[in-house]
Order: sequence, then C-alpha cells, then structure tokens
Amino acid sequence: MVPQTIAWITARGLFGRRRFLLLIPLPLLVVGLAVLSRGFGVAPENWAQPVLVGLGLAVVLPVIALIVGTGVLGSEIDDGTIVHILTKPLPRWQIVLPKLVVATAVTTVTVSISLYVAGVLAHSVRLGLGLALAGLVGSLVYSALFLAMSLLTRRPVLLGLVYVLVWEGLLGNFVSGTRVLSVQQYVLTIADKIAPTGLLQSKVSLPVAIIMSAIFAVGFTVLAIDRLRSFSVAGETS
Amino acid sequence: MSEAAGVIHDIGYQRYAGPRLGRGYVFTSLYVHSLRTAFGLGRSAKAKIFPWFVLGVVFLTGVILAAVRTQVPDAGVTYTAFVDMMAWLVVFFVAVVAPELVSRDLRAGVLPLYFSRPLRRSDYPYAKLAALATAVWLLLGAPQIVMFLIAAFSVDNMSQFWTEVGDVGPGLFYAALWAAVFAGIGLLIASLTGKRAFAAGGIVAVFLMTTPVVGVLSVMPSQTMNELALLFSPSSLVFGVGVWLFGSPDGNDNIGPFGPLYLAVTIGLVAGCVALLQARYRKVASS
Repeated sequence: MVPQTIAWITARGLFGRRRFLLLIPLPLLVVGLAVLSRGFGVAPENWAQPVLVGLGLAVVLPVIALIVGTGVLGSEIDDGTIVHILTKPLPRWQIVLPKLVVATAVTTVTVSISLYVAGVLAHSVRLGLGLALAGLVGSLVYSALFLAMSLLTRRPVLLGLVYVLVWEGLLGNFVSGTRVLSVQQYVLTIADKIAPTGLLQSKVSLPVAIIMSAIFAVGFTVLAIDRLRSFSVAGETS
Repeated sequence: MSEAAGVIHDIGYQRYAGPRLGRGYVFTSLYVHSLRTAFGLGRSAKAKIFPWFVLGVVFLTGVILAAVRTQVPDAGVTYTAFVDMMAWLVVFFVAVVAPELVSRDLRAGVLPLYFSRPLRRSDYPYAKLAALATAVWLLLGAPQIVMFLIAAFSVDNMSQFWTEVGDVGPGLFYAALWAAVFAGIGLLIASLTGKRAFAAGGIVAVFLMTTPVVGVLSVMPSQTMNELALLFSPSSLVFGVGVWLFGSPDGNDNIGPFGPLYLAVTIGLVAGCVALLQARYRKVASS
C-alpha cells in the first residue's frame, strides 16, 4: 500500500505543475522533423543521424530524464516536503524504488513513443521498436543516475547538465575512452544491435552496453538508497 | 475632562536631509550587483564553482589557441572562430547565471521590495539583461584580449600589429552579438520560473533542441532552404551573421544572399526577447 501511495504522490507532484508542459514540445519536435523530412523525400541516411541520434537519443532522452529524474525527489527536497515521507517508519528503498519506477515510466512514455514513430518513418517497425526499447533502458539508467544525483548534491540539474553536455556531448565525441562510461553510447548500441540498419553507428560492444547499463542502474539506485539513509535536511544553498 | 494622557515628546529624531540618490543610482547598483553575482563575487564558494569552471576552460582554450597562433600563423584560428568554439560553454554559462539573476528574486518574492524604490518597472529587466550580456561579453571578450596581447607581443613589425588590431575588433563585436542574443533568450526563459533548476534545464533545452532542426533543414532538397537553415537555432543564427560579415571559417557554410536577413532576424530576436521580458515584468510583482 505504501509504495503505491508514494508513487501516487510522486506522479501528482510531476503532473500537477505547469512545468510538466515542458515535456511535450521536445518529443513533438522529433516526430515533426521526422515527418517533415519524410514528407520532403529526403534520404533517411541524411536525416536519421541528426533527428534520431542528434536530437532523440542525445538531447530528448537525457534532458527529459534530467527534468523528471531530478524532479521526483529533488523538488520534494527543495520545498521541504521530503520530511513528511522521511519521518514515516519506512525502509528507504520503499521510498527510492517507487520514485524510480515513476520517473522511468514517465520518461519512457514521453521518449519512446516519439522515437518509435521517428524510427518507423526512418526505416522500419523494427528500428522503431529497437529505438523504443533502447529508450526504455536509457530512461531507467538516466533516471537512476539523476535520482542519485539529487541526493548527492544541492545542484543536481546543473551537475546533470555538465554530465550530458560536457561528458557525453563534448568528450564522448573526441575522447574515445569516455564512451565506455557514457549512457548515450549504451543506448545507441542497444538500438543498433536490435535493428542493424546502418543508420546508427554504435561504438561500444553489446555486452559492454548491457552490463554497464545494469551496473549504472543498480549501482546508482543502491547509492541513492544509502544516501537517503543519512540524509540531512538543510536550507537552500547560496 | 481629563487632559490628553500621552504627550509626544520631541526626542530628537531627524528627517533625512542629505542628497537622495535617485533612479539612476538604483539602476547602477542593481547592474553592478548583478554583474558581480554572475561571477559569484561576494558570494559563497559554492556559488563560484560553476562560473569559474567555465571561465577557467575558456581562458585555458584562449591561451592555448594564442600559443598555436604564434607558432603556426596560418592555423585558421581567428578571434571569431574562438567565439564559435566556445558556443556550448556559453550556453552552459547562461544556464548557470540567468536563473541566478532572476529566478532567485522570483522565488524569494523580493520584487515588491525592488519596485518600492525609485526604480521603474522596466528598469529591473534592463539592468539584469545588461548585467548578463556584459558577463557573457566579458567571458568571450577577455580571453580574446589575452590572445591579442600574446599576439601583439610576438609581432615583428607595426603592420602586423595593426592587422592584429583589425582582427580583434570584429572579434569583440562578434562576442557582443553572441552576448545580446544569448542573454536575451536566457533571461527570458529564466524569468518564467522561480526554480533555478528548471530555468537552467529550460535554457539548455531550447539551445539543444533547436540545433538538430538546423541539421535537418540543411539537408533538405532545396537550396533556398539550406541557405536559410541557420536561422532556426540561436547559436547558428549568430554564426550566420558572422559568416555574412566576416566570411565562412572553412568555406562550407553558404548563406546565399540572405546575409541582411540574418542580421535583421538577430536584431528582431533580441528586440522580441526584450519586449517579452518587459511584458513579463509588467505584471510579475503581484505574485
């Protein structure tokens, strides 16, 4: 009963605010660009990279996971209502796991549907399903990462942006060693291996992608549970 | 009947008779304070982490590029190319600073206090915008000055020196263009929410999600469309103006005859952001 209640509170906290509307334009843009490119008859080789990878997997997925993932716990920490949950006699995993599930579900629904449509328009239903599944894995890993971040630091969104922009965006393209520690590359690899179309270029092997995704997801969830055990409520940072 | 129970004693309180510093003084104070806030000056160490991180990276890149230029004069590393290179860091800097400047005031509900001073309603956004634009301009311009000094001390004759002066001038102007566009958009988005985290996310989202639009439009099967593609993202828009004014860095960017249109759209974009900011602050204080 308690996990459902926490999940319910979390979902209401996410959808009950105006900022939820921020989640809508990004996926619509992916679909819109795919339809536009398809409508003008551009070859998929030309537009699949910017739309599916450049926008879909590299921007929409991490940014939405960032907004949602830091929102499920971070906003409660911000306005102090986390105290009401923390003072209940609950094991901490019963707080973290429902929130993680809600964050993953919301991110997946928002991202995977648009990726599926764009994938179908680009190549085939198989590519669409591959992208949607990769979106699910990515949502889980990113959500766990950003959820843990909102407990580790007072500025989770900025730190998450540093990870997405600098680590994945800049370094991931130039320094090949950082790819092994980049969620974006795992997601790309999983999508590519499910639907080997040649439109996506994966740069790490599938076992690495799967194992590292699992390590990221489990590791950061355990870290979040552990951090919540010794969490101290403080005022806003300067 | 009875006399008045209390007597008002004159215990020597005095009215303030000194000079009253008016609107201009408040405006300047707000501007200077905001500019200091942008770099975390006068704030805790935590507030300095992100701005100084960006500053450090930008200066490091500037010094490295300056060293490259002295060794390899034809490396194609110009002042404007340096500004283009720093685009993502500028986005990040604006995402850090803009919420710091306006979102905190919204969240803390201190705007009525500002507007109870001799500060007009429109002055507040102008001061904040000027501060943010100055901060971005300093971020991009100061490393160029460093690059210029390094180059100026390693020239052989005066004509090379004047060439260098002729290069850094447009570079600084280009940086000002970036500053105006990025500050306008960033501050507008940040003024919509009192939560710094969401303001930062929103700013980055706007810049990130418009970039692939340019990528798609530039592969459309229409030359006009390709030449207009750079219009659709703020960073590529400014880049397009740079291509028109200073020429394309690698010769691949073709904007056709639309150069003046790029400049007009840039000016229109900044003017639109300012107008929307003013509209936003005309009614925001009641909340």
